[in-house]
Amino acid sequence: MTLLIGALTIGLILSLLAMGVFVSFRIFSMPDITTDGSITFGAAIAAVMLVHGVNPPLATAAGALGGAVAGAVTGVLHTKFKINALLAGILVMTALYSVNLHVMGRSNVPLMQVRTLASYGETLGEALFGGRTINVLGWAVGSADAAVLLLALGAAVAGGGLLFWFFRTNIGTAMRATGDNPQMIRALGANVEGYIVLGLALSNGLVALSGALLAQYQGFADAQMGIGMIVWGLASVIIGEALTGTRSLGLTIVGAVMGSVVFRLLVAIALRWGLNPNDLKLITALFVFAALVLPSMVAKLKRTRAAGLEPGA
Amino acid sequence: MPANSQPSNSSPAMLSISGIRKTFNPGTVNEVRALRGVDLEIEEGSFVIVLGMNGSGKSTLLNAVAGTFFVDEGTIRLAGKDVTRWPEHRRAQLIGRVFQNPFSGTAPNMSIAENFALAARRGQPRGLGWALAPQLMAPLRERIASLKMGLENRLDNAIGSLSGGQRQALTLLMATWLKPKLLLLDEHTAALDPKSADQVIALSDEVIQRDKLTTLMVTHSMQQAVSLGDRIIMMHRGRVLHDFRGAEKRRLRPEDLLDRFDEVRRREQLDESAAAMLNELYV
Repeated sequence: MTLLIGALTIGLILSLLAMGVFVSFRIFSMPDITTDGSITFGAAIAAVMLVHGVNPPLATAAGALGGAVAGAVTGVLHTKFKINALLAGILVMTALYSVNLHVMGRSNVPLMQVRTLASYGETLGEALFGGRTINVLGWAVGSADAAVLLLALGAAVAGGGLLFWFFRTNIGTAMRATGDNPQMIRALGANVEGYIVLGLALSNGLVALSGALLAQYQGFADAQMGIGMIVWGLASVIIGEALTGTRSLGLTIVGAVMGSVVFRLLVAIALRWGLNPNDLKLITALFVFAALVLPSMVAKLKRTRAAGLEPGA
Repeated sequence: MPANSQPSNSSPAMLSISGIRKTFNPGTVNEVRALRGVDLEIEEGSFVIVLGMNGSGKSTLLNAVAGTFFVDEGTIRLAGKDVTRWPEHRRAQLIGRVFQNPFSGTAPNMSIAENFALAARRGQPRGLGWALAPQLMAPLRERIASLKMGLENRLDNAIGSLSGGQRQALTLLMATWLKPKLLLLDEHTAALDPKSADQVIALSDEVIQRDKLTTLMVTHSMQQAVSLGDRIIMMHRGRVLHDFRGAEKRRLRPEDLLDRFDEVRRREQLDESAAAMLNELYV
């Protein structure tokens, strides 16, 4: 049960990462690898500020802001200096690795003895449920764990809600059009380059927020924690699209949250069954590869079959 | 050219182009001198047809005005402002556009309503207001119903699911939702079937007359050229070759225009044979 709660909590925290990847990958069709650096950047900023006694919400917000700045830098490299989007992301991600080490001062910052949003959860758990454990459908669940899960759920709902609201405003609608038809939205007076910078800032801000929350949940920030997170986010977005479809913006965002949780649960189950943790990134990459390639292969297969059935074909 | 072709000084020009030049890929084998010194004054409320053969620079002229690129030389003044160095998105506050390709003017994966919400803030600050505001939806439904295409009940459908003709009609409404100082129509019916093309042309004329829009329209159709507008500009090799207006424009028949084109073509052929002769003699 603790395992399940843990997987759900991490899945919800990483759903903010999935939303960030949704913005760069689905709105701008731009796989933005800055993600790998900005999730760590968010975690590093938040962790160092927490260690220095800054209050947790402020430290978390600062982490998110740092990610937004990193995303804006990628956007400027891409739009102003005309660097290929993927390369711009690689440059910023690489630079962030050094920046993160400087911010943290070493490769790992533990948060065991400091007050974090997770310790808010413990206080909240006691206030809400009283005792040390509560009874959920016959299982004993730590009240702190349950409260932290609720906080993570709140963060995911608030993040998804804000993102949905933003994309229905005039600015957000124009941002979506920037990805859909830049020529059209430029003719309607939108500064396409500006929207790309803003969009990548939003994307990496969400990613870094996710990183700041993750560091507080797991109790440390680590220079290596960002490796492969873009692929993790892609997997979540793709699973989400399979679950809810892409008919509407709201459904897609809900899908990204569900995709993140489902993917984390699948991983937890696989690890429980004895999957070597070292193989995790390999399997995630294979999964995303399959998810990207299979739909078109299936369609092709269907077409060939249909053609084969026609007489004389 | 007849005397009445002189611009009257009483009404100030809405669009004033002087001496614009544009060369693409200068200094390479692909060098194209697309505009070689164009001067043009267009009065407010004037509906100008731009004719010309392929490569004559008529689309380049429209794109120069729209700001797709900056001209190498010359100035462009629109509604009293020097817009020569304005980027494309800034000029959009003065200009409404419909492109040749029906896919160009709309965001395919967004709904009809959202596309109009974007157009309703053309060239204005966008802010964090709700895009599909009720005060937009009511007039939008009414206006789209007036097209009689049955689209008023499909405002939430993706615009990419519509036919080319429907998309061009909607793009035209979007371009003119906020009255533009200048409307640019770049062969906007060339990619449509004849019936849709007629519908879109009728709608264009209706909107232009109703709002008295200053318009530049590029077309290949002589029929459209003689039946629409109050002035015809014929482009050739990056320059304005003929400028018909007033009574002269009204008297023009498609055959007259074809004659002018033939004249140009004969001259071209002459040039070509001359070039071939020079080649033989000296190369």
